[in-house]
Amino acid sequence: MLEVKNLMVFFENALALNDFSMTVNEGEIVGVIGSNSAGKTTLMNTISGLIIDMKIKEKRKGGERITIYGEILFQGEDITETQPFDRVKKGLVLSRERHPVFPESDVAENLRIAGHQVKKLALSERMEYVYALFPALSDLKRRKAGFLSGGEQQMLAIGMALILKPALLLLDEPLLGLSPMMQTMLVDAVKNLRKESGITILITEQFARPILPFIERGYVIENGMLALSGTGEELMDNPEVKSAYFGI
Amino acid sequence: MLANTFVYGFVNSIILVLVALGFNLTFGISGVANFAYGALYILGALLSWVFFNTIGLPYLLSVLCAVVLTAVAGELMYRFVLLRIRGMVLSEVIATFGIGLATLELFKYLGFIGFEYSLPVFVDTSIEIGQVVVDMQRVFIVIIGIAMAGFLWFFTHHTRTGLRFRGIAQEERTALSLGINSDRVAMLSVSFGAAYAAIAAIVILPLGTINVEQGYSVLIKALAVCIVGGLGSTGGLVLASFLIGYGQTITVTYLESHWVMLVPLIAILGILIFRPSGLFGEQKELEERI
Repeated sequence: MLEVKNLMVFFENALALNDFSMTVNEGEIVGVIGSNSAGKTTLMNTISGLIIDMKIKEKRKGGERITIYGEILFQGEDITETQPFDRVKKGLVLSRERHPVFPESDVAENLRIAGHQVKKLALSERMEYVYALFPALSDLKRRKAGFLSGGEQQMLAIGMALILKPALLLLDEPLLGLSPMMQTMLVDAVKNLRKESGITILITEQFARPILPFIERGYVIENGMLALSGTGEELMDNPEVKSAYFGI
Repeated sequence: MLANTFVYGFVNSIILVLVALGFNLTFGISGVANFAYGALYILGALLSWVFFNTIGLPYLLSVLCAVVLTAVAGELMYRFVLLRIRGMVLSEVIATFGIGLATLELFKYLGFIGFEYSLPVFVDTSIEIGQVVVDMQRVFIVIIGIAMAGFLWFFTHHTRTGLRFRGIAQEERTALSLGINSDRVAMLSVSFGAAYAAIAAIVILPLGTINVEQGYSVLIKALAVCIVGGLGSTGGLVLASFLIGYGQTITVTYLESHWVMLVPLIAILGILIFRPSGLFGEQKELEERI
């Protein structure tokens, strides 16, 4: 479904991603594990197209030079140069790191903004689906998103991506900054989501422990480079992963 | 006297609301402080004058053409100038101010000065509210001003394009990741703001003549209202309009009329000293909490 081939991303002369390749097959849940500044968010932004948008805008005003080499194929189509809003139309939706929602809009309006191109009837159906998936949100429909807790905002951010019914959902560090209890809750919600809809998910995390048990395949990224890859179980048993991420 | 002050202060406040809506809309959504706003205001009025008097179209049609063409002018300004400098506030201010200055001076150079350049009032009668006589044009200003503010609220909360506007206004990159085309929305917001400027001009200017100098004072008024109200906040805009509007009317009635221009400037100074984020600086409130 998604194929990343020899991806290299430069910000000016700094190399953020170095010859990174990976694949995501239809129906899979794939994880990318790495520490801070390993290149996870750059990877997600490149796949979702935000980097292309940044590149165009920086170029216009003569700012930072961003260079992208390599190829990204989505459902067989080369989308390396495609604008982010066109990627969304193709079914590729990102839920961004640190759950930046629309702070001055209430929860329901956040979902409606996310569904700006969804038909009215389908939209209310999908909103109900999101409320069913995250029951905590359904009590907060009229609360401004800026006043939600971090976990609630994260649920909302995932919900907003789901409103667009993506074929491939990209989750960028969904557990960042959440309490262990909230982390478990979110992981359960993602598991449920997957069981019910069979959606394909690509997830990045630095917390390997809650993620590894339920991903089918995983990639470990270090300094922008692919360090390891394998099934979730293989990674869990790998001594390097154990020492780096489990502290054993 | 008191009733007079009340009624005319109200009209004056609504005029300020009308004048500031477009500026506030553009700034609130795309973050572009459109300093060419006064020029667009005069452009809208002059276009409608030209369509009506020189070309001889029916009044409603010439108004429609003027509004559409002003919106197109805003769009072109975004496409060819603002697009490249968006996000760099100082460059935006310099560029739009330059465009505004050039446009207004060009109008002067072309000779659009004099009493013949005035727009017709919609209906030439007056009515009595209490004991105060108000001409129909001022009544129309109030009706249209309220309608335009209401329409803006409805538009941004209940239409697809409006929701996109709100998305881009709050978190541009999240909006992008949800499939909203930020460049197109920003362009729309500039051209919407321009259309609002043209409508305001066509409704307000029949009270006097189309004076190119008004392009500058309109900009100052719009800025004052937006700064006092809190940039980008519509509720603040209305409240600030009423504060400054009544302030001006009271100044005219009880002090001297040449002090009127000082009111918005004093309001700006006062708010910047005591509450720099404006009366309704909502964003600030949220930021502080986080």
